[in-house]
Amino acid sequence: MARLRFLLLAAAALPAPLAAQVAPLTRNVPVIASAPAVCAIQEPSVAAGGLINFRGINGNTLQIDHLVDPATLAAAAASVDIVFDAVCNYPHRIRVEAQNNGLWRTSERPPEPAPGFAYAVPYRATIDWGLEHGRLEADAKVRRIAERSIDVDQPTSGEIRLRLEIEAGASNVQAHAPLLAGSYGDTLRITLEPQ
Amino acid sequence: MKLVSFGPAALLAAGFGAAFAQSSTAIAGPHPVTGTVPVLCAAGTLSDDDGVFAVGILVDTSTGFLRNDLSAPPKVLQGSFCTSKSTITVEASPMVAQASTGAPPEGFSDTVNFTAMAEGWTPSPAVFTTGAAANLNAVQTRETAFTGDIVVSIGDFTTEGGQALRLVEDPLYQGAVVVTLAPAD
Repeated sequence: MARLRFLLLAAAALPAPLAAQVAPLTRNVPVIASAPAVCAIQEPSVAAGGLINFRGINGNTLQIDHLVDPATLAAAAASVDIVFDAVCNYPHRIRVEAQNNGLWRTSERPPEPAPGFAYAVPYRATIDWGLEHGRLEADAKVRRIAERSIDVDQPTSGEIRLRLEIEAGASNVQAHAPLLAGSYGDTLRITLEPQ
Repeated sequence: MKLVSFGPAALLAAGFGAAFAQSSTAIAGPHPVTGTVPVLCAAGTLSDDDGVFAVGILVDTSTGFLRNDLSAPPKVLQGSFCTSKSTITVEASPMVAQASTGAPPEGFSDTVNFTAMAEGWTPSPAVFTTGAAANLNAVQTRETAFTGDIVVSIGDFTTEGGQALRLVEDPLYQGAVVVTLAPAD
């Protein structure tokens, strides 16, 4: 038995064989996912201190407090700054579109505007988005769609800042012409889209 | 080492020779039967043939932020074994946008970190979090031989740079989980 034990000890003293390397020891599992192209714009809000002669924003409607100067009946100055939280995670384009190219009478139009009276009000829209800036002049000369689009070559997140300005006396005829009575309006669309 | 084995065998032969001279009864043996079991580990086979953790769409498409409900089914490494004391190690690399080049623009990230876990082998799972300064639990030791399944899972996805960042668009974000079984000293 003494010999036997000696033999067993000898076996145990054998070095760990190379056989430990034959079986695979490592498993590599890739982890994959995707981030699709996303653009999003949240509801607008009025920027702090950005309201002159505007009543504010109600849903998506911006209402001018006094469109005309009561003394002259010409357009009164007004401006508003509104912001939209927004994101596009890929190179994209921002497009600003004014449906009427100015504030036009939304009430029934007379067949022939009275001479000397303005019947549309031009305004200016400026837009800041990330590193890009643009301006749309809605000059109210012709009632049509006016638009401005800017290519943005990198993903952008933050605020779209839109500033609308009506100058005092703005008119689609001569400056400071009195405005015909009625309701005036335009519709602005801001779109983030693929280039 | 062969010499060590042969030495006792020669002694045995000499002993039998002496007995043979004294008696007609022949006794052969006892013959010791010996063998070795090497220290051996195998990491088994994956339960799914696709062999990937498919996390799917990373972002909430209405905000662009990382979704907070991301998950992927766990994988099972079946038929793993080690014949002796062993260690299990889990390592992982974060999911990175593959088509994106350069630093992401301000407000964006191109990397998603996560935590990978290997359970079932050791009393405490081996855990590795990508982007972490240290992963103290990435290596776990088992004192005894074992065979069994290893469940490998991922979770706790976070945007590198902070949750205020959004992810850049990319059709493929890719990372990896590596599980290693090794004999321990």
